[in-house]
Amino acid sequence: MRNCFRIPKRTTAFLAVVVVSVLGLYGIPARGQMAGVTLYISGDTNIQEMFDKDLLPLFERETSVKTKMVFLEHGQGAESILTKIIAAKRTGQQTDVDLYETQPTFIAQGSSEGIWTRITKDNMANAAKVDPNRPEVLVSNGFGIPYRGSSVVLAYNSKYVKTPPRTYDEILAWIKQNPGKFTYCDPQTCGSGAAFLYVALYKYGKAEDFSGLTYDQARESAWEPALQLLRSLKSNIYNNGFYPNGNVAVLQLLGRENIYMAPVWSDQGMSYLDQGLLPKDIKLVQVSPPFTGGDSAIAIPVHAEHQASGLMFLNWLLTSKAQTIVVNKLAGYPGIDWKYMPKDVRDKFAGIAQNFSPLPNAKYQADAKRLWQEKVAGSGQ
Amino acid sequence: MSAVSAALRQRAGGLFWFWSVGAFRRSLPVLFLAGLAAFILGPLLSLILWAFAGRWFYPALLPQEFSLKWWDVVFGNRSVVSSIKYSLMTAPTVTLLSALICLPAAYAFARFQFPGRRFLLLSFLSANSFPKIGLYISIATLFYRLHLMTTFWGVVLIQLMGTLLFMIWIPTGTFRGINRSLEEAARDVGASSARTFFQITLPIAMPGLLVAGLFAFLAAFDEAQGTLIVGSPNYITMPVMMYTLVLNYPQPVGAVFSILLTVPSLVLLLLAQRLLRQGYLAAGYTL
Amino acid sequence: MTGLALVLPPFFLLVFFILVPAAEAVLDTLRVERGGQIVYSLVRYAEMLRTISLRRSVVFTILVTLASVGVTFALAYALALYLRFSKGWVSTLLGALFIIPLFIPTVIASFAMVTFLEHHGYVATLLHTIGVEDTPSLVFNATGIVLTEVWASIPFATLVLLAGLQGIDDALIDSARDVGAGALRTFLAVVLPLNTVATVITMSLLFIGILGSFTIPYLVGGNAPQMMSVVMTNYFTNYLRPDISVALAALSFVIAALAGAAYVGGVSHRERGAV
Repeated sequence: MRNCFRIPKRTTAFLAVVVVSVLGLYGIPARGQMAGVTLYISGDTNIQEMFDKDLLPLFERETSVKTKMVFLEHGQGAESILTKIIAAKRTGQQTDVDLYETQPTFIAQGSSEGIWTRITKDNMANAAKVDPNRPEVLVSNGFGIPYRGSSVVLAYNSKYVKTPPRTYDEILAWIKQNPGKFTYCDPQTCGSGAAFLYVALYKYGKAEDFSGLTYDQARESAWEPALQLLRSLKSNIYNNGFYPNGNVAVLQLLGRENIYMAPVWSDQGMSYLDQGLLPKDIKLVQVSPPFTGGDSAIAIPVHAEHQASGLMFLNWLLTSKAQTIVVNKLAGYPGIDWKYMPKDVRDKFAGIAQNFSPLPNAKYQADAKRLWQEKVAGSGQ
Repeated sequence: MSAVSAALRQRAGGLFWFWSVGAFRRSLPVLFLAGLAAFILGPLLSLILWAFAGRWFYPALLPQEFSLKWWDVVFGNRSVVSSIKYSLMTAPTVTLLSALICLPAAYAFARFQFPGRRFLLLSFLSANSFPKIGLYISIATLFYRLHLMTTFWGVVLIQLMGTLLFMIWIPTGTFRGINRSLEEAARDVGASSARTFFQITLPIAMPGLLVAGLFAFLAAFDEAQGTLIVGSPNYITMPVMMYTLVLNYPQPVGAVFSILLTVPSLVLLLLAQRLLRQGYLAAGYTL
Repeated sequence: MTGLALVLPPFFLLVFFILVPAAEAVLDTLRVERGGQIVYSLVRYAEMLRTISLRRSVVFTILVTLASVGVTFALAYALALYLRFSKGWVSTLLGALFIIPLFIPTVIASFAMVTFLEHHGYVATLLHTIGVEDTPSLVFNATGIVLTEVWASIPFATLVLLAGLQGIDDALIDSARDVGAGALRTFLAVVLPLNTVATVITMSLLFIGILGSFTIPYLVGGNAPQMMSVVMTNYFTNYLRPDISVALAALSFVIAALAGAAYVGGVSHRERGAV
């Protein structure tokens, strides 16, 4: 009560400051409605930097088509963008998403709504260079085009692990002999943990049964022993069964020597080693049977505002020049067949593990993650 | 004169009744302060250390090597600046708009009787209690129909929903706490209703309204899920950006971003601290 | 009727942008295709309640929420009492301190908590220097969620409770002291009853806020059991079951509505007392 007479003046001053600053900001127009192409890209920061610093400037220079990139961390936002594209289609409007790079499962999810453009060599010449049997193409119901590939490999700290496992079963044996020194990230939050889960499932059921387009829930009964196996590992996992969120969290645990072994993405592991974020003792190897790979593909909505520019960008992205940048930057595999790549690039990467297991299709992936949550993580003990 | 000051002193002594018992009446508050300070400031201090850590491995108490290299990484990212700009555009707009729409309603809730009053008041709780993820599809469809998707006003609208509760409930309590006899006295001496409201009611209510505004501002400022659906790609606000940064960058980079993106809030904190110290926040907010 | 007219604009916003979309979404969860025909059925809710991990998640969510509300409330009440009835440097510092978390965005707060409490985080480092060898991780579990929720909720709870205490006339407390009531008696017989409305508001809003929070449990929580908000997102995004996700949202809404009812009960109780 005692202060009430001083209030109005102060409030007015405060409001004036707010109003002035808001008006100041409105002076800068925020809408970027230039004719160009809007790309929705997801993944980790190495992908973001590659687009921001290398691919997009080069594309703009070569074609004078302006680009605009929206970068999404995979878990956050990918679903809402899909929802947005579907909502636009249902209401008969165009979408500002001209090109969407995401997990093939998301593309498959939208295919029943008829939101994706069927990409063939007729509307995009370089589609001819892409192997139609790539896991990314199959998993996305044929609507996704791969432009980069990477696979999950095993990372281990050579200071503590003298004889690294060479097969999946040897990994399992190592985990039991070295309790608390291994983990994989929660499969719902990252591909490297999902790969560990899928290879366990493939141990008891053929990979081909689940990677095709058909879906039969009854087949999932074959997974039961695999889920039991993962559940039995729980007490030997780091921190008594802690599965961190996201690929980066696992790399940090490796970096801090909280754990000595974990599945990681080949490209991420390489880039962390390059940046000094992982000690030099960390080595990457592929095991047998190999972990799954290919987490990303590009799709173009049929109702994209600048569909032609989207196709044009994708076509450019699949030229050997752009693909060379991708392969060098990510230490991964190209989206087009190796035979279309320059010889020096092929030689440089000759040693990299070229094979990876296919991912299960979208529905099996979703079910596998749910069952993992229900029967492994959420099982109590 | 001396009798008055003696009475005042006695009264002041009465105010300390709560701590006038117990052996640790001196040490307990200090311990409480120390504990709370460690709990509240600890995480923030650890964040600051990480932002300047070049190399920091357990169990060193301080980074083995201080460095500014992560700040370069951050300043190389052009979208950070624009996300701060968008947050500073939307949140104040939302707050003002919310006040414009909600304050008359709050006054009505406090002063008038009408059918369904209590039900209507309760209904605003639903704005904050139906999880946004459950609304994704319906909201996106609706916003497309209204041509609000990816527009500034679309973002404002979706953030506005989260402020309704604060802007109605807190001012309703404030207005209700104001003694009617003050208003009646003003009207008795011939002041019009409008004049009474602006000269008597509003000044007394102002601290409570400022609290409501503050909470509405912070709710809008912090909103991420709805803003992401409606705003991207044109309006990526700070919290939307933060999810990407915190989860995908190495720890020191996340720390630098966090510090940088806390600056706008800190300015507000300093402003509000002054209001708080002068007792504005609580004075009119008597429920 | 003037009153109704003033109340309608925000109410229409609410109906149009929250209630109708919510009703639409919930109706969708009831629609099931059976033999080419759309019928209404509760099968999705039955499935939800049959799944053990979902049942555990619901229980876990309620327990974590209650624990967070309880701890926040106790701390905030002590803080508010001290700030109201004591002056001095401790009080000034506390007054400046407790408000800070209000201004830190929750994403940043969660991230800071992780660096502070994780395995080999700052707390573990400090304990290590005084000889405690291996401190387990205090985040990525229920403890982490509760601590972070408490951290983020203290300012709000304290502000509301403090405002309530400020409304209590000193004369009432003085007279209670005059007739010889001790500190505890004064608190229980005078302060607590006079502060009922603030208490109810604090409790119900804290409950609803923490129940529905996503950022904190997502960044600070563990693998299982998870808070309902995180589970909803997983069912929506990862398991391709938006129907279950919306059904969970509806359940969460029902739980929150109970807290809302408590608020209205508390407010009308006060109104009856005032008349």
